[in-house]
Amino acid sequence: MLTSEHAIVEYDCGRAVPDRLERKGHAHYVAFAERMLAVYRSGIGRERRTLHRQVEALFADEPDCPVRRIRAFCKLLDDASTYQDDPKGEAAKLRLRVFTAAAPLHPLVRQKDRLFEHEEAETKAAIAAEVGMAWDDIDRRLYADVMAFQRLNSFQGYPDAVALLSRYNVAQLQACLYAAERMTVTATQDLKTILRYAKLARLLHDIRRAGPSECVIDFSGPASVLRETRRYGVNFARFLPALLACKGWKMTATLQTPWKTRAVLVLSDRDRYTSALPPPDEFDSTVEEGFATKFGPERDGWRLERESEVLADGQTVFVPDFVFRHEDGTMAFFEIVGFWTPEYLAKKRETLRQFRGHHILLAVPERSLREGAEPGENVVVYKTAIKIEPVLEALDALRARRLRDQALKPPGDSSA
Amino acid sequence: MQPANTLPRLSFDRGTLLFSGVSPQEVRGIFAPGIWTWDGRVGAWRADALHYAAARNTLSGRFGTAWRNEVPDPPPVRWPKVGLPSLRPEQAEALAAWREASRRGQVIMPTGTGKTEVALAAMAETGAATLVVAPIRDLMYQWHRRILSGLGYDAGIVGDNLYNLQPVTVTTYDSAYIHMGEIGARFGLVVFDEEHHLPGPCRREAAMMCAAPMRLGLTATPERWDGRHVDLDHLVGPVVYAMPFQEARGRTLAEFDVVRVPVALQPDEQATYDACSRQIRHFIALRRRGAPGYGWKDLCAESGADPAARQAQKAYFLKQSIEDRAAEKLRVLEDLFRLHTGQRAIVFAGSNAMAMEVSRRFLVPTILSHTRKRERLAVLDGFSEGRFPVIVANRVLDEGVDVPEAKVAVVIGGQASTRQAKQRLGRILRRTGNVQAVLYEVVCETIKEIERSRTRRRSDAYERTRHRRI
Repeated sequence: MLTSEHAIVEYDCGRAVPDRLERKGHAHYVAFAERMLAVYRSGIGRERRTLHRQVEALFADEPDCPVRRIRAFCKLLDDASTYQDDPKGEAAKLRLRVFTAAAPLHPLVRQKDRLFEHEEAETKAAIAAEVGMAWDDIDRRLYADVMAFQRLNSFQGYPDAVALLSRYNVAQLQACLYAAERMTVTATQDLKTILRYAKLARLLHDIRRAGPSECVIDFSGPASVLRETRRYGVNFARFLPALLACKGWKMTATLQTPWKTRAVLVLSDRDRYTSALPPPDEFDSTVEEGFATKFGPERDGWRLERESEVLADGQTVFVPDFVFRHEDGTMAFFEIVGFWTPEYLAKKRETLRQFRGHHILLAVPERSLREGAEPGENVVVYKTAIKIEPVLEALDALRARRLRDQALKPPGDSSA
Repeated sequence: MQPANTLPRLSFDRGTLLFSGVSPQEVRGIFAPGIWTWDGRVGAWRADALHYAAARNTLSGRFGTAWRNEVPDPPPVRWPKVGLPSLRPEQAEALAAWREASRRGQVIMPTGTGKTEVALAAMAETGAATLVVAPIRDLMYQWHRRILSGLGYDAGIVGDNLYNLQPVTVTTYDSAYIHMGEIGARFGLVVFDEEHHLPGPCRREAAMMCAAPMRLGLTATPERWDGRHVDLDHLVGPVVYAMPFQEARGRTLAEFDVVRVPVALQPDEQATYDACSRQIRHFIALRRRGAPGYGWKDLCAESGADPAARQAQKAYFLKQSIEDRAAEKLRVLEDLFRLHTGQRAIVFAGSNAMAMEVSRRFLVPTILSHTRKRERLAVLDGFSEGRFPVIVANRVLDEGVDVPEAKVAVVIGGQASTRQAKQRLGRILRRTGNVQAVLYEVVCETIKEIERSRTRRRSDAYERTRHRRI
């Protein structure tokens, strides 16, 4: 990741526009990226500052290139490099040894004019002999542990020039988010992934439904209710690659500008940033994938949607694998228990209890049931693949129950 | 008696307090307005951890024992071996004033008058789990050393890529800002050293997210250019003791000389320097034809899109680096070292590069920002025990770092700033016998460094000092 010293953000009428190298306007950057990668690939054994100077030199005649962009490239290239470090503190040991030897001879002068003075070159040669190394060698190693003088050991690099440029673009987005105070995501899909990664990034959420299959999620940190703070900017930046890997979302982040004003960063999956993370597995397991393929997008009046609804109670959320929507407005959630352990089942049972007011249909593998156990209502048992028929039967039973309940209710009561 | 799970409940959540189990009316009735905010995301009231001591007292007064305090109680600390010198009268006065103020407040004392000893005495008498926050790693390591020698306790370190949390821990402001959410409820006492660093827009959150009831702020120079020091009252506590700088001079600090040594650039340096100057002047003159007010800021703004502007910018930095690393400065250093053979000297360089250049030329150790704990201790101990005659530092030694008994300081580069100058003087002014302390400023002739030196001399730290030229 970059630091905020690398961030290049333009502000345009309250909009934050992070630096982005695009295929159209920056086509020549592909060649630059190739040359930068070449500098590092052929730079094994060179000092860090030399590599940075070489990269800087590539851009000497390029009109469109802020210094920060060059520094950012160097940082991203360094991030994919291993430099020779000095774990045992060899350089520090050498320093102490040399300086201790030189201390009684201080000061080392260029020209002796008193009897007890010590001439620089002579003294250095004497110390070199004592240490058992040529003086030039000592001089080179004396500060070899300083960052700028570290030598490149290996370069893992980026697959190609375009990958480096994509990484740069995402890194600038992230650096822009360091100044973010809060973030709002409107999502229609992949809610499970979004919420899971937000939680991993230690963000708190506030979820509202904005319409069928559309949720608005405000992300912030604990102290955000007390004051506007940038302290969760890093958390937003960490969460971003997961969001970029998802589909069907829009994001607005409120940022502090360097002039203490506010700006917004607006982003959506249509901006086509390339995430460093792989896209969320199309389906959590083959059981789900098989079921969705077999069921198709719609069947017998039921429309099938994936991870498009979220049940939230405070910071506990439940995103069912599928949502069934019937033409008459009936909605049911379908959760497939594929992978299981006793702990997992216990946790799932607890979550379901918390959201028991909703229509939740469960698919449970037969091997997870104890012998002779009664599966109960709203549970479909399957062996290796979920069959369509029992699911449709359960759905229709559920729908019939809902319609009957509705008919029994006095008119005007709309709580369903 | 209510069942325990419906009692009012106070807990710590990542740098904030959560309070639940009472109605909104009651919260408004118990607490002053503006402290608690309803947080619908978690269904509880939230406040900065800063308010913990007050909230705890208020709740105990209102509910007696019928409330649950889930904010962890920091464990008391037993000091393995207390070996503190007895406090001087002004130090004892400062400590008593802090004690009187419910152990929450700021002590303002000049550099070299023993702020650290006041803090160590406070730690010794309270026996509280303590977090010490210092501006830079050097100071953090120095606190570690002082706690070890004064209280016999090997404190944990959070910062400088280390994370070793102990009941007594030292850290830096930047690390405190990052980690306070996690560690904010683990301490009974928090000490903010050089507390004028605290009120910055981010760093202040370190104080706000810390639940420690006892707070001690230490500084020699509380004023900030942005006026934010008034917030220290809220973040740390009121000023409980202040000793003015002038009062300290002559009593605890020695008189000192300031000697300015002008140096000239070598012919080749001068040639490059002048070429750079011409290049910049030429570029700016060209620009001003179109835009009369064109200045340095415009040049920087343009440098991203115009190679010529970038060249001019580069020329400017080259000029700076020529000033900073003028070869003549090394020759002057040689003379000064000769002059003060047998006396300990500190050299302040303007950059890491210059510090290392001095080190490689004279084979003297450096203390730089990336110097690790072990080497740092070896160098500082070696210097104070007289095994190293000279150390070279960049700006990291500017503030509060103890360098015992140095009588000669040489500034060969760096920025002017009143506070830095005061702190730098504090380094060499420590009273030891009657040896006169000298501060040399090695300055490139006819260029900006002279301006900086003048600004430095105008500050009140330099009043009544003798100025000589050699």
